[in-house]
Amino acid sequence: MNSKEIYRIWAPYSQRWVDWVRPVPFINIDHNLPHHEIIDYTIPHINYIKSIAEDTAIIIDTNSIQSIKEGIALALIGYRPIPIFNGTNPPSNTKGTTDNSLIEPLLIWGAYQLAKIKLKNDAPPVFLLDQNRLNRYKTDRSIFDNSWDIYPQDLPSAEYFLNKGITKIIVRGEKVNKDLRKILAKYQKNNLQIFFTNGYDSPEEIRLRK
Amino acid sequence: MKLVRILESKFEEYRLNAIFDCYKWDPQFLDSNTLSKYVLVLTEKEYHEVAKLTEKLDSETEISEIFLNSHLDLTKILKLPKTPLLKNMSNYDKNKHIRLMRYDFHPTTDGNWVISEVNSDVPGGFAEASLLPELAIKTIGNKNYYSINFGDQLAMALSLKIKAKGTIMFVHCTSYSDDRQVMQYLGDKMQSLGYTSLYGAADHLKFVNKEAYSILDHHEGKIDCIFRFTPIEWLIDIKPKTWSGYFDTITPSCNHPIAIFAQTKRFPLIWPILEQNGIKLPTWKKLLPETIEVKQAKGKEGYIYKPAYGRVGENISIKEACSKEEYQEILKDVHKHPKKYLAQKRFISKPLTTPQGTKYHVCLGSYTIDGKHAGFYARISPKPRIDSDAEDIPVVIERSKSHE
Repeated sequence: MNSKEIYRIWAPYSQRWVDWVRPVPFINIDHNLPHHEIIDYTIPHINYIKSIAEDTAIIIDTNSIQSIKEGIALALIGYRPIPIFNGTNPPSNTKGTTDNSLIEPLLIWGAYQLAKIKLKNDAPPVFLLDQNRLNRYKTDRSIFDNSWDIYPQDLPSAEYFLNKGITKIIVRGEKVNKDLRKILAKYQKNNLQIFFTNGYDSPEEIRLRK
Repeated sequence: MKLVRILESKFEEYRLNAIFDCYKWDPQFLDSNTLSKYVLVLTEKEYHEVAKLTEKLDSETEISEIFLNSHLDLTKILKLPKTPLLKNMSNYDKNKHIRLMRYDFHPTTDGNWVISEVNSDVPGGFAEASLLPELAIKTIGNKNYYSINFGDQLAMALSLKIKAKGTIMFVHCTSYSDDRQVMQYLGDKMQSLGYTSLYGAADHLKFVNKEAYSILDHHEGKIDCIFRFTPIEWLIDIKPKTWSGYFDTITPSCNHPIAIFAQTKRFPLIWPILEQNGIKLPTWKKLLPETIEVKQAKGKEGYIYKPAYGRVGENISIKEACSKEEYQEILKDVHKHPKKYLAQKRFISKPLTTPQGTKYHVCLGSYTIDGKHAGFYARISPKPRIDSDAEDIPVVIERSKSHE
């Protein structure tokens, strides 16, 4: 499969939420793809949600491997995984602040898994983030800063969610990261309920300040 | 000028091809698709008219900035970023650098064109002005349409001033993929012509004897051209101050920081001084709505406020184009920092109506490279303010009947 074909599996035509799939990690996917034997491609078991809830969207903010694998696990119970990774790669051999190299092979693997799963047109979304996006510490000026933030324009508005019947958002991660917190605070102000889970415990509603 | 619809049945494939073949990596903004379902079609008469006006504007801008560069004592009214380094630009030689600008044209209800600004420092939209029109023509299948490939012209201009097989550093904010998409398009193009393209941040350059050197990990060495997409006023905020060399470098630059004089939207406020010194600006004066200081607009009707260094329509006080909250915030900031803004007579944009009856306001960006017209980049919006909610639309030209 080439980059367009893989992208189209993650973002099939005329399906709800797929317009938010960020193209950036797909662009060069069929060029120089490194072989990663170290990746464990086992689909994880999801503890924090038992079955699909049509009124609930999920945002996974873990490392990229876990994020994509959990996205596929949630697809198996009916969620539409929407990868919103937006980091670029440094020039060849240049050290970057953020390692995006594992996202590409995982998206290819995920495409093969997703191709076997039939999702409803209006399946609720699970947005996939990489918590390592915020690694921007440079030990030296020569390092390429390819960290990135998630911004309000990268996700649907609160109004859009509510219009589509989504009233709750579960954030799954180690913590609610600063950039995401700003977006969620706005959602909360606009009457979306925000829940948090560390992946083991049941989601609990949280209050956020901008 | 008219809007032609891309067939609904073809649009999703067009969008996919725009993403993968035309460097359109940001196809969604909040709840909006950033890629228009329409194509903007200019007549040849409109094309030549705008191209001619653009070159006239550019000539006046260039004369002005060269004059101001040697008369910095007169530039107080511009409220330029406070840096003594502007004095270092005295060695600026326009023949060594590549000067790229984009003028934003709008059709008005009285049948004329106005311009809202010049993107003097870091205009973008390169792939949208090069590959997207070609894709649109192929999708529509109308052989009577053609387009200008802006990228071809920019690459040619760069090639004239950079040594063969030289290395170009594409300086941008590396955390933003929407900046990288602009740089990557041009970088790939230059790479295909035998140049080496490097992608780095402003502080990945150091300057020795006024020449630029890359310090990027594994890509250290002399640079033959700086292509900068980091705005000059952001560059000046970077700490530590590693950027001073940009101001007096002899390494060919696009753009050189001399762009700052016309980048500030307060540029019209210095026109009286320019005219006193024999510099004529008839095209600017004809096309730009009256621009005055904020305090002079007090109590006057029909003026809007614009930030001196605003981008993509941000913080412009067009009441019906802002939320109530945003409008109040702008007015509050104008009141607090009047010198960071200017007041401009509002013009009434004439929207184009689609065959389906929808009205869109148009901003037609017209590029120049070293004084010559080089192509178009356009955005449309249902609102009169063309801002981040607007859609990118390819610009094509319809052959006049006399050519058939």
